[in-house]
Amino acid sequence: MSLDAIGSVGGSHAPGEAGYLSIEALSKHHGAARSVDSLSLSIEKGELVALLGPSGCGKTTTLRMIAGLTPATSGRILVAGNEVTAVPTHKRDMGLVFQSYALFPHLTIAQNVAFGLEMRRLPRVEIRTRVAAALEMVHLSGREDRKPSQLSGGQQQRVALARALVIKPSILLLDEPLSNLDAKLRDEMRNEIRDIQTRLGITAVFVTHDQVEALAMCDKVAVMEAGRLSQVGTPEDVYERPANPFVASFVGRINRVAVEGRGNNAVAFQDQLFRTEHSVIGPATMMVRPHRVAIGTDDGARSGTANSLRGHVVRVTYVGDLLQYDVDIGGTSFMVEAATRGIAAAFRVRDAVRLEWQPADTLVFGAAP
Amino acid sequence: MNAVPGAGASRRAVLALLFPIMLVNLIGFIVPMLNLGLLSFKEALTGGGIGEKFTLANWVTLVTDDFNRELLLNSVGVSLAITVAALVLSYPIALYIQRAEGLWRSILIVLVISPLLTSAVVRTYGWVVILSDQGGLPSLLNAIGLTAPRMIFNTTGVIVGLTEILMPYMIVSLLAGFGRLDPRLEEAAATLGASPIQSFWRVVFPLTLPGVALGCLLVFVLSVSSFITPKLLGGGRVFLLATEIYDQAIVTLNWPLAATLSILVLVLFGLVLVVYGRAVAALD
Amino acid sequence: MKTSIKYACLVAGALTLAGPVAAQTVVTVGGYGELFAEKYKKAVIDRFNESQKEVRVEYYAIGSSAQILGNLRAQKSAPQLDLAVLDISVSKAGTDEGLFDKIDETVSKRVADLNPQARLEGAAGIGFTLDNVVMLYSKKQFATAPTSWSAMWDPALRNKVTVSAPPEILGLALSIVVDKMEGGTDFKASTAKGLAKLAELAPNVLTFDPKPDAYAPILSNQASLGVGWNARAQYFADQPDSNLGVVLPKEGSIFQINTLNLVKNRPSGEAATKFLDYALSPEAQIAFAKEVAYAPTNMKAVVPEEIAKRTAAGAPERMIAVNALDLAAVRDRIVQEWRRSVISRK
Repeated sequence: MSLDAIGSVGGSHAPGEAGYLSIEALSKHHGAARSVDSLSLSIEKGELVALLGPSGCGKTTTLRMIAGLTPATSGRILVAGNEVTAVPTHKRDMGLVFQSYALFPHLTIAQNVAFGLEMRRLPRVEIRTRVAAALEMVHLSGREDRKPSQLSGGQQQRVALARALVIKPSILLLDEPLSNLDAKLRDEMRNEIRDIQTRLGITAVFVTHDQVEALAMCDKVAVMEAGRLSQVGTPEDVYERPANPFVASFVGRINRVAVEGRGNNAVAFQDQLFRTEHSVIGPATMMVRPHRVAIGTDDGARSGTANSLRGHVVRVTYVGDLLQYDVDIGGTSFMVEAATRGIAAAFRVRDAVRLEWQPADTLVFGAAP
Repeated sequence: MNAVPGAGASRRAVLALLFPIMLVNLIGFIVPMLNLGLLSFKEALTGGGIGEKFTLANWVTLVTDDFNRELLLNSVGVSLAITVAALVLSYPIALYIQRAEGLWRSILIVLVISPLLTSAVVRTYGWVVILSDQGGLPSLLNAIGLTAPRMIFNTTGVIVGLTEILMPYMIVSLLAGFGRLDPRLEEAAATLGASPIQSFWRVVFPLTLPGVALGCLLVFVLSVSSFITPKLLGGGRVFLLATEIYDQAIVTLNWPLAATLSILVLVLFGLVLVVYGRAVAALD
Repeated sequence: MKTSIKYACLVAGALTLAGPVAAQTVVTVGGYGELFAEKYKKAVIDRFNESQKEVRVEYYAIGSSAQILGNLRAQKSAPQLDLAVLDISVSKAGTDEGLFDKIDETVSKRVADLNPQARLEGAAGIGFTLDNVVMLYSKKQFATAPTSWSAMWDPALRNKVTVSAPPEILGLALSIVVDKMEGGTDFKASTAKGLAKLAELAPNVLTFDPKPDAYAPILSNQASLGVGWNARAQYFADQPDSNLGVVLPKEGSIFQINTLNLVKNRPSGEAATKFLDYALSPEAQIAFAKEVAYAPTNMKAVVPEEIAKRTAAGAPERMIAVNALDLAAVRDRIVQEWRRSVISRK
């Protein structure tokens, strides 16, 4: 895979060829600090794109700039070819679902949802119909006259969604809408939001720090670090073919070992050579997904072209669907995940084990030869 | 029998703790108020004495005399004008303070409250200087070409001066009521297509209504009971319940009539409180 | 209530201090404050205290007649004052409420020597100093002193005249004087002529209620003409570089009579009459008149020229005789007339 890709343009578009929502060299400065640094991204009509990254990476700032709530220091934002960078928020025709839902406490649910339609001066009859339809879409019919304070978190979130969607915006923006929900509800809502978005065909940008959400819901994932785009790609791209160690370790769990690149698709570690798909020279990082590693007894046998390490088990964690082994491979810890099969752990602490994995599953990042 | 053992004892303890303040309230407030009520039924002798007999004459005068009706209408009218003016002027200030942060916000709050540290008399005299025909605001307005209205020793002066004097109360009440405001709500309104004006009228202002109601109550009541400012700025031309009570008690020495008017003011306040209570209940 | 507690403590303190001196009775006098208090103490009370040792007079400045009456009412069941200074009309009010013992020749022989206006039928108190209404003028506006009340109606004086409207006594007094000026003969029956003239004054009036007092606007030249009381006016006129001038206009003026009143059930009993007798004496009244421009009530008092020039004692023919009872009777009527036709005029 390539080196750290800074500011890569997403999708199959070259710079200059815009998608439905196009962000060009967008930046936000606070004096010397840059919370968003020359970010460029292109989003197709009907796509659900995740802005994924740790806190402070600038994803929410980027979303707010798209919405117009935070003014951009430089750069452009275009929707369907029209520049909206200077357009005030209330003229941008975008729906925003806030992390805290931001429902109007003094209005009923129906009035909340109707708000955007009233701003657009639609006839009262039409408003009533559309509000009813929106509430049904989020399974909240029958609660029109409640106030937000009378609803649970999940229900409030659905109202927020209905309110943002009922106006049929060109773009839907979601700012970590699921983080205030408990785990079960989160999974449910995730699917609901995705279903609605696909059904309506609405272009959406979804900010989250939860990579499971991003991978599960979105057509494309844009991984951000320190104000810049690290990688843009499909969930599979980003998971299987991370562009750099940051993306690799942020998206999904991964093992990380410092190695010495020897060229010729080989790296050295602990006086052993490991086969890789790419060549690197000099200090490098080798990374392997825990569930791509097979764990077996250390009986001296090696299977063919597999990369292999020996060690002994330090910890066994049972999480129901998985068994996680922490294996000490000589000063470094290596994590292995194996599916449980209803039987007790195959290995116990202090067992000597052999780990094996395929070269195809071996990621390596370093200087090209 | 008490369902909860010790409940009777704890109730008695609560009553015992409340007793001192209830006694103070009784002696300092209830009894004088009852005295005032009694006084309103006494006869006022020409020359200023208080007679021994009981009579309804004061109450009859109150209801039938045109002047007293005028007093009431004037007081309510002027106070309403002051309340509205104070609200309109204070709201932007309070909103600005609400949105300010850190040290600047604290400085602003101190600036708003510090006039209350000065006595109303001093502040009113300040207004006498500002509104006077020579060297005051009117001469400034005339200098830039506008014809200034007379603003001293008339109702206009009273309204201007009293509005400013009472504004700190309005601002503080509004700030207390701004607690429900969340900048996110205004952002949400904007994303839904509300212009800043629409966002204000549909989201911000309705949320602040409890604070608005409280501020209006406070300013209205303080305005009706204010007599120093109307006396100093009114030039003997502004007749309000409060100034009349003062005149009857201190100059004419007609304590029974003064007492009657005082009770009228008390009843007025009672009505205002009822209206306030209904308004607040309706808001929730 | 509060003031009476305050000087109850003061009196108690004074009494304990007075303890060691054998058999000295303290007589407590409650009266006006500020200028009156300062000068009366200096001219009369201190001299009385020095002249003999059986009675010591303590003077407490309470405030206006209304405030003093308020205190008397509050103390009715346990008086702390022996003597109270009150305007004669307020003395009547207090008498009606049973607050005083009557002062007549049996209480002090000097009563027989007093100006008839010092007594009022139905009032227990007795007049001991006389003030009178005067016209005030700003020296910056008038190089020579005006001589007539009609100077106030000069159209050039728009918003330059201050007047105290009724129920203030100054306003009632002005009504009576202007009514007579316009040919009215019996103010008790009607003051219509006077009020019609006063209605024409309205455009010139800066304020109908000068604050803090009638003299401040003239002193500061905010107003050119005003109406005030002689004693205080003369005091302000005496100050260095004073802008205030005082004149008793030719159309006349009215007395304001200050009375001493013996409080019923007073603490010091008969000792109070000793001081009362001194207060009514010619020496005391002249001594006081020398300090502040109040005229004496004792007709045996020989008035030196300097006092005659500065008080009504020098122009008795200009004084209109007004009975305080009559004034009280027409007060409400005149108040209504002012409100209807004078103050409401723009």
